[in-house]
Amino acid sequence: MIHLKGISKSFNGNEVIHDLSLEIPQGKTVVLIGPSGCGKSTLLRLMVGLLWPEKGNISLFQEDLSKANVEKLRQQVGFVLQDGGLFPHMTAVQNMRLMADYLQHDPIKTEHRIAELCDLTHISADLLKRYPSELSGGQVQRVALMRALMLDPQILFLDEPLGALDPLNRVSLQEEMKTIFSQLGKTVVLVTHDMGEAASLADLIVIMQDGYLLQYDTLSKLSSHPADPFVTEFINAQRKPWQQLEDQIK
Amino acid sequence: MKNLTFYSCLFLSLLIANPVQAEAASEIRIGSKKFTESVILSEVITQHLQNNHISATHKDQLGGTRLLWKALVQGELDIYPDYTGTIIYEILQGEEISSDADIKAALARHGVSITAPLGFNNTYALGVTPSTARKYSLEKISDLRQYPELRFGFTNEFMDREDGWPSLRNHYQLPQTAVRGLDHDLAYKGLEAGSIDLIDLYSTDAEIAYYQLSILEDDESYFPDYRAVILYRTELIDHVPEIQAYLTQFGSIISETEMIKMNSDVKLEGRSEAEVAQSFLNIKFNTLSKIEVATRLDRLIATTSEHLFLVCLSLGAAILVAIPLGIWGSRNSALGQVILSIVGIIQTIPSLALLVFMIPLLGIGGPPALVALFLYSLLPIVRNTLSGLTGLSIDVQESARALGLPASARLRLIELPLAARSILAGIKTSAVINVGTATLGALIGAGGYGQPILTGIRLDDTGLILEGAIPAAVLALLVQWSFDFAERTFLSPGLQMKQESTS
Repeated sequence: MIHLKGISKSFNGNEVIHDLSLEIPQGKTVVLIGPSGCGKSTLLRLMVGLLWPEKGNISLFQEDLSKANVEKLRQQVGFVLQDGGLFPHMTAVQNMRLMADYLQHDPIKTEHRIAELCDLTHISADLLKRYPSELSGGQVQRVALMRALMLDPQILFLDEPLGALDPLNRVSLQEEMKTIFSQLGKTVVLVTHDMGEAASLADLIVIMQDGYLLQYDTLSKLSSHPADPFVTEFINAQRKPWQQLEDQIK
Repeated sequence: MKNLTFYSCLFLSLLIANPVQAEAASEIRIGSKKFTESVILSEVITQHLQNNHISATHKDQLGGTRLLWKALVQGELDIYPDYTGTIIYEILQGEEISSDADIKAALARHGVSITAPLGFNNTYALGVTPSTARKYSLEKISDLRQYPELRFGFTNEFMDREDGWPSLRNHYQLPQTAVRGLDHDLAYKGLEAGSIDLIDLYSTDAEIAYYQLSILEDDESYFPDYRAVILYRTELIDHVPEIQAYLTQFGSIISETEMIKMNSDVKLEGRSEAEVAQSFLNIKFNTLSKIEVATRLDRLIATTSEHLFLVCLSLGAAILVAIPLGIWGSRNSALGQVILSIVGIIQTIPSLALLVFMIPLLGIGGPPALVALFLYSLLPIVRNTLSGLTGLSIDVQESARALGLPASARLRLIELPLAARSILAGIKTSAVINVGTATLGALIGAGGYGQPILTGIRLDDTGLILEGAIPAAVLALLVQWSFDFAERTFLSPGLQMKQESTS
C-alpha cells in the first residue's frame, strides 16, 4: 500500500532520516514509535508529501508520489494532527464537509456520510454545529478523525492523535479508535511515543532512533527477538514504573 | 492577482484623469495662494470676469508660490496674482533679470504673460511688538546684529526663498540662530503671546495696524519691490481674446491704502472675501457681482461629499491593490520585505511633499490628492495582510494542505478568512489615517474638511476651524465604529470566540 525506498531527508544540512526503506501492507495498523526527535513525524509527513525527501522514492497505491499528483493522492488519504488541525473559522460540520463540498459531491450523500460517522464516533449531530473553540480536546480529535474519514480514504495517517489529551480521555478514545480501525479495515499509520498506545493499536511496530529504522515487526517479535539493545530498552522503559509498583504491592 | 492590481491601477487612473480634461475647456480657473490678500485679489479678478459674462471659477487658497506657478505652467490654472519680487527671486530664480522687459521675456519662455502692476507694493518687512522695539531700541534691520538672542518666526516660504531668510542673513550678517518656520497667520499669534520676538510681514497686512507693530527699516535696501501683478497663460488670449482687455483694466487700480483696507475688512471685520471684492468692483466699475452666500449647512454638505469622495475612492483602490500585494509578499519572505520597504518608504514622504510631487503628473484638485491618499493607505493594509497570512498556525496550514486543497482554494477558503481579522484591522487603520490626511487635500484644491480648517486658520476664525475639525473627527469615529460593526457581522463567530478565550 505504501512503499518507501532509500529515503533521506535533511533540514538545514542536518540529515534527520537516513536511507530508510519501509513497506506498509494494506489493511494493517502500523505504529511509528521512538523517542522525541527520532524522525517519526517527519517520516509521516514525507508519506503525504507535506515534506519532500532529498533521496529515495515514495509510492502510495502503487503510484509514485510527485508534486504533480500529490493533491489528488492526498484526497484519497486522511490525516489527523496532534491538536486536530481543525479550521477555527468553520463549525465542526463545516470542517468535515469542506472537501466533499469543494469536490462538489452530492450533498445528500454527504449528509448521509456525516450521520454514519456520527454513529461511528459517538458524536451527536448537535455537537457538530459548534466551532472548534467550543469543543473539548477529545471532541476536537473525534471531529478531526471524522473529517479525515469523510471521503472514505484507503489510508489514514495520524500524528500523535492522543498526545494532547488528558489520561482519561486518552484511554477512552484509544479504545474507540481500536474498535473503529478494526471495523473499517483501513490501512492506518500512526505516530506516537507511547508504548502502551502502540501495544494496544498496532499490528506492526516501527521502532526508530536518530533517523534510523531499528526494527519493524510485531510487538511479540520486538520483545522476543530485539534487533538492537535500544529496542528492549525502549520497550521496558515504559513498563518500569508499573513493574516497580506491582513489586511493591506484592 | 497581477491582473487585478493592473486593472485597479487602470481604474484609478481613468477615474482621476477624466475630470481634469473635462474641466479644462469650459471655465477660466483663477488660483490664489493661501493668504488673505491673494484670495481677495483672485476673488476680484474672478468676479470681474463673471460680471463681464466670462465663465470663471476661483480655486482658492491652494498653497504657496511654487505650487501655484507649477499649476499655471501645467495648465491646471489660467490666472493667478503674484508679486514682482516673488517672480524674480522665487519663480525665475537664477535667471538674469534687470528690467520689466526681462521679466516679460523670461515668463514668455514658460508660456506665461504678465499684466501691468496693479498699483500697490506689498513688500516683505520685519516687524516686532512695540515693547520689543523699546526694550532693544530697534529701528533698523541692522540693529538686530547686536541681539543674537532674539527669536525669529518666519513663514515657511520665507525660510527658504531666494529673497528670504538665508540671503537676508548674509546681507545683514545677522547672528540669530533661534529661527523657526511657521504659518503666517499663526506668526502674529506667536508674536502676541511672546513666544517669538520678530516675524516677517507683508507691508499690506492688516494686522500691522491692529497689533501696532513696529516695522524695522530696511536700511541696507535688501528687499526688492513686490508690486502686485497678474500672471496668466498666454494661450488664454487665443481662446478668450477679450480677456486681455479686462485684465488690463486692473492696471494701477489698487492703492496700498485700499489693499490694506480690504485685508483689514476680511481679517479684522470678518467680511467674506467675496463681499469685499464685490464692494471694490462696485466702486471701481460700478458693477454689482452676484455672490453666493453659502450657509453653514451648504458648506458642510459640500465639504462632506468632497471628503467622502476622496476617502472612499482612494481607500477602495488601496484595498484592491494592497491585499494582492500582501498575498504576493506572503508567498516569499524576501519579496515580502521588498514590498513592505517600498510601501514603508512611500509612507515616510511628508504628505504635503507628496501632494506637490503629484502636480506635474496630475495637476491640482482631486486627482493628486486621491493618488497621494491611495499611496498612504497602502502600508497598513499590505502589512496586515502579509502578517495575517504568514502568522497562521502551522497546524492549520498543514491540515489545509493535507486535505488536498490546491493553493488557490486554500487561500480563498482557509487562509484569507483566517487572516480576515488582521486585514480588516489594517483597512480600519488606513481608513482612519485617510480621513485625517484628506484634510490636507484642501491645500491643492481638492476641497473636503480641510477647506474650512485652512480658511479658519487664515482668518483666525475658530468657528470655521471647528466646522472642518469636528466633522473630520466624527467621520473618523464613524469609520472606526463601522469597521467594528463589520468585524462583528462578517467575521466568523469561531474566530471571535477564539479571541475572547485567548485575551
